[in-house]
Amino acid sequence: MKQVLIVDDALFMRNLLRDIFEGAGWTVVAEAEDGFQAVEQFQALQPDLVTMDIVMPRMGGIDAMRRILQDFPEARIVMCSALGQERMVMEAINAGAMDFIVKPFQDQQVLDVVARVCNA
Amino acid sequence: MDIEKYRKMFLSEAAEHLQNMAKQLVAVEADPEDGEGINSLFREAHSIKGMAATMGFDATTRLAHHLEDRLAEFRGKGQISSEMIDRLLAGVDLLEGLLEDIAQGEQERDVDLFIHGEQLALIELEPLDSAEEDDACCDLASNRMLIRLLLDESVVAPGPRLLVLLNRVAEFGTVLETTPSEENLLQGEISRTLLVQLETEIPQQEILKRLECYRELSKIEFPAAVLEEETARNKPGRVSATSTVRVDTDLLDRFINLTGELITNRYQLQSAAGEKDWTELNEGLGQLARLVKSLHHQVLQVRMMPLESVTGRLPRTVRDLCRSSGKEVRLEVLGASLEIDRSILEALTDPLTHMIRNAIDHGIAKQGTVQIKAWRERDQILIQVADDGRGIDPEMVRQRALDSNLISPGQAQTMRDFETYQLLCLPGFTTKEQVTETSGRGVGMDVVKSVVEKLGGVLLIDSNLGKGTRVTMKLPLSVAIIRVLLVLCDGSLLGIPITRILQTVEVEPGEVQTSGKQLAISLHGELIPLLSLRKIMQRPKGPGKTMLSLVITEVFGRKVGLVVDRLQGQQEVFVQSLPSPFDQLRGTGGGAILGDGRIMFLFDLQSKLEGRRAKGA
Repeated sequence: MKQVLIVDDALFMRNLLRDIFEGAGWTVVAEAEDGFQAVEQFQALQPDLVTMDIVMPRMGGIDAMRRILQDFPEARIVMCSALGQERMVMEAINAGAMDFIVKPFQDQQVLDVVARVCNA
Repeated sequence: MDIEKYRKMFLSEAAEHLQNMAKQLVAVEADPEDGEGINSLFREAHSIKGMAATMGFDATTRLAHHLEDRLAEFRGKGQISSEMIDRLLAGVDLLEGLLEDIAQGEQERDVDLFIHGEQLALIELEPLDSAEEDDACCDLASNRMLIRLLLDESVVAPGPRLLVLLNRVAEFGTVLETTPSEENLLQGEISRTLLVQLETEIPQQEILKRLECYRELSKIEFPAAVLEEETARNKPGRVSATSTVRVDTDLLDRFINLTGELITNRYQLQSAAGEKDWTELNEGLGQLARLVKSLHHQVLQVRMMPLESVTGRLPRTVRDLCRSSGKEVRLEVLGASLEIDRSILEALTDPLTHMIRNAIDHGIAKQGTVQIKAWRERDQILIQVADDGRGIDPEMVRQRALDSNLISPGQAQTMRDFETYQLLCLPGFTTKEQVTETSGRGVGMDVVKSVVEKLGGVLLIDSNLGKGTRVTMKLPLSVAIIRVLLVLCDGSLLGIPITRILQTVEVEPGEVQTSGKQLAISLHGELIPLLSLRKIMQRPKGPGKTMLSLVITEVFGRKVGLVVDRLQGQQEVFVQSLPSPFDQLRGTGGGAILGDGRIMFLFDLQSKLEGRRAKGA
């Protein structure tokens, strides 16, 4: 059973992602509302995958990802971006994000990306 | 799709390989046992083949493949015959032609005649390898491939998507080049296609499989050849090789530092001027002079290229001349790393070849050495071509000049050997019937001399009968900024390049002698004819003077004294070419604005007199 950590400041998005993952047989080990929580949760749980929102209060997704990768270079992190955040997404990819999804997304798109990232 | 970029890359890289091949072939011929030489030739041909195949240049691929095959045979034997070197060189020439075709965006020229013509000749020597081997072109670029990825219309963030794909492809091997580049992607260039040149050991099928999981992709292609339509769309014409310069980042840093210092200097001067602090102002000006000089020096650096970029081709020239004339000539190049302004270098290619040809054709009898030597003396670059051949008989030259009415019998008697050799550069000295075996050189020396003089330089010939001949070019470091002597002529300011001046003297009118109608002075026991600058410029005669100012220079290989109103000192000037129609004026090689705002014209005595000669004729 694969484990995922969902990071997003919006409860609505977290729930949406949770449904998609659980529907595909994943375990959502934790949710985080900002970058600080994300780093803490990752260190504690070391899940197989992280979905990371980019813009969040306190600490953004890119900074959180950098911190996680510092200690866990093998971490698989997928960015969740909104339309118009291309530059930030590219910065994230350059900094080590493996892939990204763009909101609004369909279930299948998310699962495609997840499958690729886990097989790579 | 930017196939154009790959084409340029291919052209410049292939040209480099070809130049190496030509050089290496000559070296291998000199040392037939040089197995490593043959190996490296083989590798060069192989590289060209791989690149050409990737780009889909079929004829180039086949020819390179063919050369590679021939070289492979010799790789086993460890020896190449001279005949074979000839053929291989011809093949290299043909490849150069093909590159030209590609650069022009034209159809590649025919190579079958060469390939099959050679095979016919080879059949007599040895049985050929099976023909199938030549068909192995398909697996040519086994380690290089082009991948073209096309994003589906529905992809909302193409930039990041292409970046992810690029990272993915990079895991398969080494990415050599991409369009758009990663940098451009990061800067927000919007594209739905990605072309990657990849060096990889993973087979194409496997790569396809790994990329197929990307549903965002509507197409994955491996263009072994570049599509016709793409090349057609990207066919803007010639690829210019001269428009760009590579600049060391160190040098750029120094520019930035200098600019910073100049800004500081400006504030220093401003404040000194505001406070009328003359000591401070003087100091600031001294500083400014130092900075500008340094900036000038650095800017010149940008335009510098090593002499090697021109002499690199000469071993090939020497070798071909040896083969055709049956002589044995060794080429020595000293100072090939000397850096010279690129516009000067470009102009020197033909003259150097010419001088080498002269040395081999006329100087060296059976065997000998031709030496090219380059060195720097203060603000000048000297390039010398010397041979250890039979030398030139000055008597012969004098006689010939006399016969063709180039000099008078009186001149012939007083002319010293050194001056006599300069006669070889007279245009009249180069007609065909005069170039007999004994007339020695002179073939096109007038052309060489005029190129050198156009660059603001001087050509000197010096010979020792039975020992050899030396031709020396004295050239300025740069063409844009030169040091001139300012002279006055009826109130106008003219500049004469320092490199063209032998000496300046002031003499009393009483020292002027007459020989016939010609005025002359005697300098170090040598009679030097005088020319009046006012007369040449068609100005009224000046008032009589107690001292005459003379500029001793050379025209048509002869020393003359140019009488000017006044010598006004030396100065470095930035010469700008004159706009049309003033560029048609004879004797004017450009203009410059001096520090005090005056305009100066660069004066070229020889071209001025040539105009008069032409009119008189």
